[in-house]
Formats: sequence, C-alpha cells, structure tokens
Amino acid sequence: MSLTTQAPSKTIAAARPATARAARPGGRRAGVPYAFLAPGLILFTLFLAAPIVYAGYLSLRKVKVSGLGLGSKSRTEIWAGLSNYTRSMTDPEFLPSVYRIIGYGLVVVPIMLGLALLFALLLDAGRSRPGLSGFARIAIFLPYAVPAVVASLLWGFLYLPKVSPITDALSVFGITAPEFLSSSWVLYAVANVAVWGGTGFNMIVIYTALKAVPTSLYESARIDGASELAIAWRIKIPIVMPSLVMTFVFSLIATLQVFAEPMTLKPLSNTISYTWTPLMKVYRDAFVRNDIYSAAATSVVIAVATFILSFGFLKLVGRRAFNQEDS
Amino acid sequence: MKTKFAPLLAALTAAALLTSAACSSSDDSTDSSTSDEKVSLTYWSWAPNMDKVVEGWNSTHPNIQVTVNKQDGGDPAVTKLLTAIKAGSGAPDVMQAEYQKIPTLVSADALADISSEVGSLKDKFPAANWTSVTLGSDAVYGVPQDSGPLMFFYRADIFAKNGLEAPKTWDDYAAAAEKIHKANAKQFLGTFSATDAGLFAGLAQQAGASWWGVNGDQWTVNINDAATQKVASYWGGLVEKGVIDNKPMYTPEWNAALNDGSQVGWVSAVWAPGVLEGSAKDTKGKWKAAIMPQWDAASPATGNWGGSATSVTSQSKHPKQAAEFIAWLNSDPAALKLLANTANVYPAANEATATALTSPPAFFSDQADFYTIAAEAAKATKPFTYGPNVNTAYSAFNDAYGKAAESKKAANFTAALATIQSATVDDMKNNGFNVAG
Amino acid sequence: MKNSKISTTLLILGAAYCLFPVIWVLIASSKSSGELFSTFTLAPSTHLWDNIVDLSTYRGGLYWRWMGNTAIYAGVGGLVSTFVSAMSGFALAKFDFPGKGFVFNVILAGVLVPGVILAIPQYLLLSKVGLTNTYWAVLLPSFISPYGIYLARIFAAASVPTEILEASRIDGAGDWRTFLRVVLPMMRTGLVTVFLFQFVAIWNNFMLPYIMLGTDKLYPLTVGLNSLLNQGASQPAMYISVVTGALISIVPLIALFLTLQRYWQVDLAAGGVKA
Repeated sequence: MSLTTQAPSKTIAAARPATARAARPGGRRAGVPYAFLAPGLILFTLFLAAPIVYAGYLSLRKVKVSGLGLGSKSRTEIWAGLSNYTRSMTDPEFLPSVYRIIGYGLVVVPIMLGLALLFALLLDAGRSRPGLSGFARIAIFLPYAVPAVVASLLWGFLYLPKVSPITDALSVFGITAPEFLSSSWVLYAVANVAVWGGTGFNMIVIYTALKAVPTSLYESARIDGASELAIAWRIKIPIVMPSLVMTFVFSLIATLQVFAEPMTLKPLSNTISYTWTPLMKVYRDAFVRNDIYSAAATSVVIAVATFILSFGFLKLVGRRAFNQEDS
Repeated sequence: MKTKFAPLLAALTAAALLTSAACSSSDDSTDSSTSDEKVSLTYWSWAPNMDKVVEGWNSTHPNIQVTVNKQDGGDPAVTKLLTAIKAGSGAPDVMQAEYQKIPTLVSADALADISSEVGSLKDKFPAANWTSVTLGSDAVYGVPQDSGPLMFFYRADIFAKNGLEAPKTWDDYAAAAEKIHKANAKQFLGTFSATDAGLFAGLAQQAGASWWGVNGDQWTVNINDAATQKVASYWGGLVEKGVIDNKPMYTPEWNAALNDGSQVGWVSAVWAPGVLEGSAKDTKGKWKAAIMPQWDAASPATGNWGGSATSVTSQSKHPKQAAEFIAWLNSDPAALKLLANTANVYPAANEATATALTSPPAFFSDQADFYTIAAEAAKATKPFTYGPNVNTAYSAFNDAYGKAAESKKAANFTAALATIQSATVDDMKNNGFNVAG
Repeated sequence: MKNSKISTTLLILGAAYCLFPVIWVLIASSKSSGELFSTFTLAPSTHLWDNIVDLSTYRGGLYWRWMGNTAIYAGVGGLVSTFVSAMSGFALAKFDFPGKGFVFNVILAGVLVPGVILAIPQYLLLSKVGLTNTYWAVLLPSFISPYGIYLARIFAAASVPTEILEASRIDGAGDWRTFLRVVLPMMRTGLVTVFLFQFVAIWNNFMLPYIMLGTDKLYPLTVGLNSLLNQGASQPAMYISVVTGALISIVPLIALFLTLQRYWQVDLAAGGVKA
C-alpha cells in the first residue's frame, strides 16, 4: 500500500511523476517528511532513546566506597564491566521471578483474550438488541478507566477476608472463602486484577474489527443453515485474526511489565516479595537498595527480552499484522 | 520551510524560555547567605500536622520561612531524597530522617554536618539518641526529634475476663497468648508481621542484639547472632502453635481486627496511641499500656521502633538557617509542646517529659502514668548500631519472613536469619564496603 | 431462542464482574469511617456527601488540586502528543524517503519499552536540567507516544487519499498548510482516538509522576491517592477518603467514555484487514 508510488498515476498528477518529487535528492521536497517527523523524532530521542542509552551506560557502572563509607566524598563511581549483569542474572530470586511471570502470563493472556473474544462475538451477534449490548459494552469497558493502582487497591479490599464482601457472601451459603492472598491463590488474585482491567479494552479492539465486516458476508452462510456458532468459528474469528494477533502482542508486553498490581497488593500479604516480578526487582534495586546500576542492568535484560519475544512472535505469524507495509 | 514550522518553533522557544526562567529564578532565591536576608527553606516530614508546628516558627522568624512538604512516610521520603542526591538537585533543605536511615544517608553524602551549629545541644538528649545522629563521630548529622521506645498495649477487659495480668516476661506473654486463643479461637494476642522489620529489629535490640557494628575501619554484620536467633525462634514457635496470627500489620484487615476485638494486644512503641485512636476507635477506654515483656525480669530492657531526627541535607544552600530552625524545633520548650500535642510525636528531648508530656494521650486518658511508663521504658533502651544498608536488610527480612510466616514453621523463622545476614553482607561487599565475614 | 438466552446471560455475567468492584466503591464511600469495616460490606449508608466534604477539605482542598493537575497532565500531554503523532504518522504513511523503514522500526521498538525502566534515567536526565518536581517533568515525557505515532500512521494511511494531497499541492498550498487544512480534518476521527488513548495512559500513569514529583501540590490523582493510602495504614480514618477519592477519580473518565463512545473504535490491525 505505498500510496505515494501507486495512486498518482490515476490523477492529473500523472504529468509530474510522484516518485520524482519524493526521491529527488537535495530538492526542496526531500526535506518535507523529515520536517514533519522532526518534533516526534526529537522528543523520541530526548525522552526514549537517551534514557535507554543512559540506562545502558549506568548498567556498566558501579559505586565504590572507601573505608566505612561514612565521610563525605567517600563514594566514587567506577566502571563495573559486566558485573552488574552477572549479579543480576545469578540473583537466586531472578529466575523464580521469571518463571512466575511466565505462569502469570499463561493465566492472564488466554483468559483475558478468550473473554474479550467471547464478549466481542456476543456483542456482535447481539447487534439487534442495542439496549443490552450497549450496557454490557460500557460495563465491560469501564475497568479500563480505572488506573491499575486504584484497581489493585479496590481488589485488595475485596481480597482481605475481614473486609471482603466475597467472604461475607460465600459464608451465607456456608462456604469458607479461600484466602485470596495466600501462597496458593496469590498468582490468580493478581491475574484477576489484570484480567478485570484489560478485557474491556481488548474486547473493543476485536469488536471494532468485527463491525467493519459487512453483514452480507454472513447472510449466505445463514441461508445455507449454518449455526451462529459455526459462523463465528468459520467466518468471524478468521476475519478478526489480525486484531487477535495484535492484542496478543500487546497483552504479552503488558504481562512482562506487570508491576503496579503486585506492588500495590504487596503490603497486604506475606506472599508477594520484593522480587515477585522482574520489574519489581528493578524497583527494589533502584529505590530500596539504592543500587541504580543493578537496576539498569536488569532493565536492559528485560527490554531485550521484550523485543525478542514481541518481534519473534510477529516474525512467526508474519509481519503483515503489525507492519503491513514492506517498510 | 522555516516559516511553515513557525508555530512549532514558537512553541518550543516558549517552552525553552519558560524552563530557563524557572531555573534562573530558583538560582536567584538561593544566592543569599547572610542571616538577616530573607530565605525560604523546604522541610520534608511525614509527621501529622507538622505544618502547624512550623507555623509557630514562621510567625516569629520572618526572615527564615519554612515550608513543609508532607511525605508518605519514612521509606518513601528516604527513597526520594537519595534519588535527588544522586541527581544533584531536588532535595529539600531540611529532612525528617528515621534513626536507622541516618548511616545510609550519611554514606550517600546526603546530610550536612552541622556540628558547629548544634553541637552544644548534646546534653539535652538521651545519649543513645545523640549517638544515632553522630554515628559515634565528631560530626553531627541532625538533631533528635522523636523516639520510639517499645511498650506493650493490651485490652484490659479481655485480660480480666481471662484472669490474666499484663505479662512481665515473654513466657508470660506466650502463656497469655495461648490462654486467650484457647478461650476464643478468633482472638489473638498479637501477630507476627513480616512487613515490619523495624519492630523485629527492636525486639532483637531488647534481647541484646546489635545488627551492625564498627570495628576500626571495618563494618561487622551480626543479624544471625544468638540474641536474634532467640527472638526468631520464640515468635516462630508462637506462630507455629497458631496462638498468634501471621498476617502483616497496617492493613485494612489488621485495622478491622483491632477494632472488632480479634487482635487484643500489640507489642508496639510509645506512639501507638495515635494509631489505635484511628484503628480501634470502638474500643477506646479498654486498652492499657505496660512496659515490655522481658527476657530477664530482673534487668529490664527495651528496644526502639521508629523515632527520627531532623537533618540538614547536603544540597541545602542555607545550612546555617536550617540548623537554626532544627535546633528550635527539637529543643525549644514551645516547639516541644507543639511536637507532642499537635504532631503527636514523643519528643526525644529530655525535658519534654516534664514540660510537654504532662497529660496522657487521649486514647489512654484514664491511664495517668502513661508517660511515666514510657520514660521508664526509654531509659532501659539497649544500644544498637545501624549500618549503611538497612534498607537491603529490611527488604530481605520482608521477603524471608513473608515466606516463613506463611509456612507457619518455627524452623523457617530461624533459618530466615541466615538469608538476611548473607543478603546484607553481599550487598555491602558489592558496594565496596570494608566488611568482616 | 436458547442461543440468545445463553448469550444474554454471559453478557450480564461479564458486566456484573466488571461492575462489581465499582459498585463496592460506591457503597463503601457512602459509609462513615466507623462503618467501613464493621457493617456488612454491601449495605449502603448515608455518608457519601459527608465523605466528599471531608475529602474536599483535606489540607485545603488538595484532592481537587490533584484532579486539576491530572486534567492538565492528561489534557495538555494528550493534545501535544496527538499533534506530534499526527505529524509523524502522516510523514510515515504518505511519503517515501530514505531511512523510513528504520525510523518506523525504531518507533515500533519504542512501543515495547516499559515505562518503569524509563522512569529512572528520565528522572536523572531531567534533574540535570533542573526540571524535576515541576509540571514539565511529567508533561515533557508524555509528549511522545510511539503507540500514538503507530496508530496515527494507520489512520493517515487509511483516511487520507493521496489524490487530495496531490491536488492540494498543485493548487500551490504549502505542505504545512495542506497538513493543517486538509490532512488534520480528514484524520480527525482517528486523532480523537489517539488523543483518548494518550489521555487515558497519562491519567492512569503512576510511576513517572511518582518519581518525578516531590511536592504533593503537583501530584496527579494516582500518586495522591497512593499517598493517602500510605497514610491510611497508620490513620485508618484515611481509608474512607481513599475510597471516596477513588470513586470520584473514575467519574471524569466514565463521562469521557460515554460522551466520546463512538471514537472508541480501535482497529489495531486496519491495514491487515484491508490487505
């Protein structure tokens, strides 16, 4: 879809081939795209690229203390080689936090996207009943408006047995509710906050893709006697596949970055440690241990892992979804 | 092309101008250094109503105006201060700093030495508190503001119902915990809180531990010593038996438990009435304060939980004026009254007991001897040295004891200490500290 | 019809799950602080207005200042970043130039970088120019949104026909004029979506302002509520203010959703579907 090279032939501009103007080196027009990009690129460099480079630099540094380290100027920053990386990778808490995040991802991503797809299909099938659909759509989307910190706070109240209505409600039926923040449940308790907050957004993405499909496409299938289920499975899901791929990638990234939820729930329980997720370890190193150098090293590792996973996955499913041009 | 992007350029220029204006104006205001010139100081504190205490200073010192920036608490404030120090700007002039964080802050070069300004105040404070701000050196890194000797608080009505008296020893405490929990399975005499390393350190202090120490120019770390082992195995035993709870303190759950009578005792510090006032409103009048249960009733001992000094940061452009304010805040009789009655802290200054703490805190209004008990407790405080990486040790405590408390096994309570010890030593070594072991 | 009954039930269940915590906040914030943890959790009370008054008077109306700050951060940040995204997205979608693929891939990579990782070096860099603990510290980093650029590029490719650009050029209009007069209006719907995205992202952001700001007068709601929560641990009376504050803080976003519903049509893979 490189419009600049295809479309002009149909217009009066045929007399002046577009390629000439776009590519003529040194001409006035050659600078135009760069000028439009300039503010974005400058801001990107200042607030994304520079901090990342700076983090990379910090990850190779460390502080050296002389003596007891109590006098003024007893600290000096020196080169550390890769020692921050080896320390961070060999920290006994690092691998468990990676496994935990994988387990967490295996719970959150399928459930969240499964629910999002289910609700999107139900909304689409229910287009004839705008009242219910409209209400359900807004209700399910609503948690997206709640910041993760606030959401975790709310669920935190709901998890604590003494203050939770869930415990109250279950006890009416004579059921003892599990302790949601105990070691066997805590992963699901955190996952639930993420599913709650993320389902609605993904539902809207998939629903938008569904709405773009003309109903005539289903009509013939209906006439042929196909059930709604069969239509959903054979026609609708394949159509929204690119959207599903995109929501999958973004959910994957969000999973790797889970931070606010366990951080907010942490003081309420014995089961969430400072190194519960890799990003929490970054936070601990930087802000609790006051060791920004180790924190930077772990950050770089997480960033690289995120790139490999996301781009690897996109490579696997074909790049068309993310990057539809040949750019 | 230039003209086409004029609006954008204008916007960027405006932004640049604004920022440079902001920079230069702040420079101007911090140029002055003579004391008759007007200066304004910022003060980070988390004590409630500190702004009202400071009003007492501002109204009488028109040339040194102090603005309080309320902080979330001791830990977040230190985190922010250390980040600002690292960044080279953004620190306040004056900072409330918990005693256990002072070595960390000094080691990060965050605090100014104000010995020439406030060194003469030494005799106005208990020796233990003064050592906390000098770290045993000639420098003075702050003036003690408040202290937190451990005390024991209990529901007198529940104790009476069970035929119990305030526990004199830790054996008594264990027996009382068992009796109370047996009589009513919903009631606990206390909880072991894995999120409150400060309390556990205080308990270890009472037992005679000192987790850090200085030996010549070398640090020592003794978190896994016999005294701390004794404390860990004692609390692990109580949790394993199930006679005290294993949930963290300071959660909505715990607040509710204090209020509805499922938590009927609290090993805490002198500032506890302020917390109970909020958490256990409905039980007012039913609580009593006592000195801590003892390991050896013949030689009473106490530890500390909390307590803080007021310090001048190394980024302050007006250390002299800041020190002047700090001296007033923590030693002037009027200020001590405000600290005790408005900010609800237990002032560290010796004379506070006589002048400022004349009536018991509201929540314990019928216990007239409250502050006499507190003063007795404060006197029995054992020496304890904090190291330059308390945060590392405390976060390791948090994780290790979270697991131990969840497992409810006494063996894990004692084993956890080795984990904390090695995490603390490793961290110091990694930072290049000269450390034994 | 059996099918529709099942689907109705499922939708209602889903809505109930999503609304449950919100309803709980609504009920909880109607209680007095004594009732919060003592009465049955789903039994409403009558103190909502008192709680709002209490919250409003807390330290001279600090809460409303947080609300105003949040509106400034999210509003100004959202507008500027949308405009920047529109320019970049337009350039990437409608021009061919050397380095285009590289630029686009770098921006895509930017989408993947976690905010927590950026926050520390951003703080250290901004403090070198003395901008921490100012509105700029939160605003400047939020002016750039790689995700916004990515979306804007999709919208520009889909909604701005090249023919019109050609026509406008032939009329002698400059590129900047064409962008403002022709391109922006055509991308309007998409740009509202980009704006909403960035607005919500800034509104919900916690880490960046938490690190950048030391003065609570500059806090946005997320950081402010968190500080109230921290104080709640030792002053439980604050919990009711936290709950009430949480309730009020989601009202503006709900209003925004309801009024701009039709812009919440996010086709992340528009190009993919069309190809």
